[in-house]
Amino acid sequence: MQSDESGPNVGPANDDDARLTRGAFLKRGAGGAAALSALPLVMAACGGSSASPATSAASTSSSGPIRRGGQLRVGLVGGGTAETLNPYLAITPIDQARIQNLYDPLVLVNSDMSRSPGLALEWNPNKDATVWEVKLRPDVTFWNGKSFGAQDVIYSIGLMAAKTSAGLPFVSGINLNEMKAVNKHLVRIPLKFPDADLSANFTYYNTWIVQDGEKDFTHPVGTGPFELESFTPGQQSIFKRNPNYWVSGKPYIDSLKYTSISDPTARLNALLSGQIDAMAQLPYQEAKAHQSVGDINVLAAKSPQPYMFYMDTTRAPFSDNNVRQAMRLIADRPALIESAISGYGTIGNDLVGKGLQWFDDSIPQRTQDIEKAKSLLKSAGQQNLSVLLQTSPIFPGFVEAATLLAQQATAAGVKINLKQEPASSYYNPSILYLKMAFAQTQWAVPSIKFFYLQSLAADAPYNETHWHSTSFNNLLFKAIGELDKTKAQQYWNQIQQIQWTQGGYLLWTNADWVDGLSTKVRGLAPSAASALGNYLFRNVWLAT
Amino acid sequence: MTATALEVEVDAPRRGEHPLLGFLVRRTLGALLALFVASILIFVGVELLPGDAASVVLGRNASPAAVQALDRQMHLDSPAPTQYWDWLRGFVHGDLGQSAVGLAQGEKHAPIGPLISGPLKNSAILAIITGLLMIPFSLGFGVLAAVFAGRSADRAISIVSLAAIALPEFVTGALLVTLFFVALNLLPPVALVPPGSTALSDPKELILPVLTLLFASLAAGIRMVRAGMIEVLGADYVQAARLNGVSERRVLWRYGLRNGLAPSVQVLAQNLQYLVGGIIITEAVFAYPGIGTQLVNAVQQRDLTMVQSVAMLIAVVYVLLNLVADVLVVLLVPKLREPA
Repeated sequence: MQSDESGPNVGPANDDDARLTRGAFLKRGAGGAAALSALPLVMAACGGSSASPATSAASTSSSGPIRRGGQLRVGLVGGGTAETLNPYLAITPIDQARIQNLYDPLVLVNSDMSRSPGLALEWNPNKDATVWEVKLRPDVTFWNGKSFGAQDVIYSIGLMAAKTSAGLPFVSGINLNEMKAVNKHLVRIPLKFPDADLSANFTYYNTWIVQDGEKDFTHPVGTGPFELESFTPGQQSIFKRNPNYWVSGKPYIDSLKYTSISDPTARLNALLSGQIDAMAQLPYQEAKAHQSVGDINVLAAKSPQPYMFYMDTTRAPFSDNNVRQAMRLIADRPALIESAISGYGTIGNDLVGKGLQWFDDSIPQRTQDIEKAKSLLKSAGQQNLSVLLQTSPIFPGFVEAATLLAQQATAAGVKINLKQEPASSYYNPSILYLKMAFAQTQWAVPSIKFFYLQSLAADAPYNETHWHSTSFNNLLFKAIGELDKTKAQQYWNQIQQIQWTQGGYLLWTNADWVDGLSTKVRGLAPSAASALGNYLFRNVWLAT
Repeated sequence: MTATALEVEVDAPRRGEHPLLGFLVRRTLGALLALFVASILIFVGVELLPGDAASVVLGRNASPAAVQALDRQMHLDSPAPTQYWDWLRGFVHGDLGQSAVGLAQGEKHAPIGPLISGPLKNSAILAIITGLLMIPFSLGFGVLAAVFAGRSADRAISIVSLAAIALPEFVTGALLVTLFFVALNLLPPVALVPPGSTALSDPKELILPVLTLLFASLAAGIRMVRAGMIEVLGADYVQAARLNGVSERRVLWRYGLRNGLAPSVQVLAQNLQYLVGGIIITEAVFAYPGIGTQLVNAVQQRDLTMVQSVAMLIAVVYVLLNLVADVLVVLLVPKLREPA
């Protein structure tokens, strides 16, 4: 739950969470199987419910009358002076938390990952899904009184498409020069290739909408539920309520204060002492402890946030699919979840996007099968396989999971040699990223389409498994462009079948978002979309 | 530190000069040389850090072109000696340089000075308060332990101070938080100083960080004062003073402390230096927005100029404190002032 939000992530590394969970993990020692007996409540509660990703153990009940006013104080992992209010440069969770409350998206993502209209009311494609007309919400104004319209959307998409923008992957299929404001509240968006679900591209915070001509992102103007009052990167920001927000009656609180607190223990102490009301990224061990004590509320949300090992499908020994499949069969997933992330995750089936549209739930769950793994290794001629796994404390539980996988592998006669890499180099493409044959990764997955385009398409920029297949690529673009939903689902099923039988990802868990709230915070529902109920503080009110 | 004191003795002034002035001049030149060497080490060390700010700020979108553009803006495409010289020249003239992170985010100018002035002030407050408490406490407990050497008061002081120095700050900090927040609920466990104000506006928040730093730094001072005092109190001239009927209090403060203090001054200075550079961990434990936190962030973000400039500022304070300590020692021990 570290820097959770930007695909495989390059935020400033902070490995304190990882260190904290380490001791408990080591205590548990090699007894991966023994740990199974102690599955926590959360796991037990959601083991069976795969359809709805947002079931949760959180208890931020919204009972009682809503009370207006007050200030919500939130502690988040800081990003130092790199913190920004620019949605197109933001890559850390604290930036995301600010963007979510200063600006608005075209599409709202609900707590179960379904979508509702945001600044856009309707999305209408032409017959072959190459041109979309997007009808915008009237009567929305920026804080400065300017009314929102088509030019703002066109300008924002232009900024997203800049070379240095983190929003580029979502708009790279748009024909920028031919975008057109049909009228004040209707935009025409022509595409380079058919896309049957364009709105899915605007569900990630790097695509939120700014005003036409916005240049000064130290004092930006948005349409969001809160207005900027002050911002000191790496330290603190204060927002005040936008009285003219287009969702009537909201927000309930008068002001919102974020403090950058990078040390997880300090963050928790601040929450326990009442110096803040909410904290992001509660360490797993602490969550477990405080969930039973009840002094704070633990907000835990099931999510499609994959924690994966990945293998380079072009490099020996992983170029042999038998080896890849064997590695996937070696993993004892429940033990990994229990030991590495204290049970705060749902079991993974080597496919990204559980709970999202197009995910194939009919594919059977892969479980540990040492005998089968051995026979696959034998047919690959790799009975005495020895491989290097490059791990890093960049996300909590990564090093622990790698250590445990190495132990599990010995049962199949596989020797996994671990090498711990510095977190700051792990996602740096000029040092390690995409150069490692066997390593670990995490993604934020706003849609299945996004993940496949970014990691498995022919020109995917973050092709971690070095997956290159023309037929697969053709199938992918057929699925993306297919307006007939039944047909599209068939294509997506084929794609996922291929990945399940041949891919290079070993997805062992979809990790929960785990955050902490004081008992007076109300109205914040756990969301599969992101940490702290997707940072939807417009819904929050404070009990006395 | 006694080594430094010895060095001072060897440093005999030349004939014809005012002894103290000559000493000062030589020491200052030495300090400047030390700073020059430090600047080279800092520059080289920072150069060796892998990665760059552009990759950190732009994430995986850091295209080679974007990285190159930033390099040009930061003059990182010029040869290393030129970069070093430009940076040092700027530093000497009070220009700390431009923040790579700010430039990578597309700002035209991102001077480091304003970015670090707040954290610098916060750290200074923490260090000065701790320092002001540390010196009298070290002296008081050290003298007390020496006077009662071998008896229970001495043992108690020794055991507590040795235990405190044996614990790393994050343990001391956690223990203090457990005691004063979890158990007693008397003091806030973190110091969330809002930007634009200082910790002085809510002094309660300062207590635990200051206590943590005190625990970490007191022991060495106490031990040194104690040792110096025991040695002096057993010396013949102190015995002679006592036999001449000088009051015990006067013996202690006038004869004992003044002579026993010389080696301790160096240790106290070293502890003050530690407060300047070594408070990173304490700042992290209490989420205190000081220069240590800033430095860690800068390293993580590969904001190289900021790392260089902050490290150099810390080096300057170190060297200055050393210089002051040397002068104090000479003032305290009259015989060092005389030509050999």
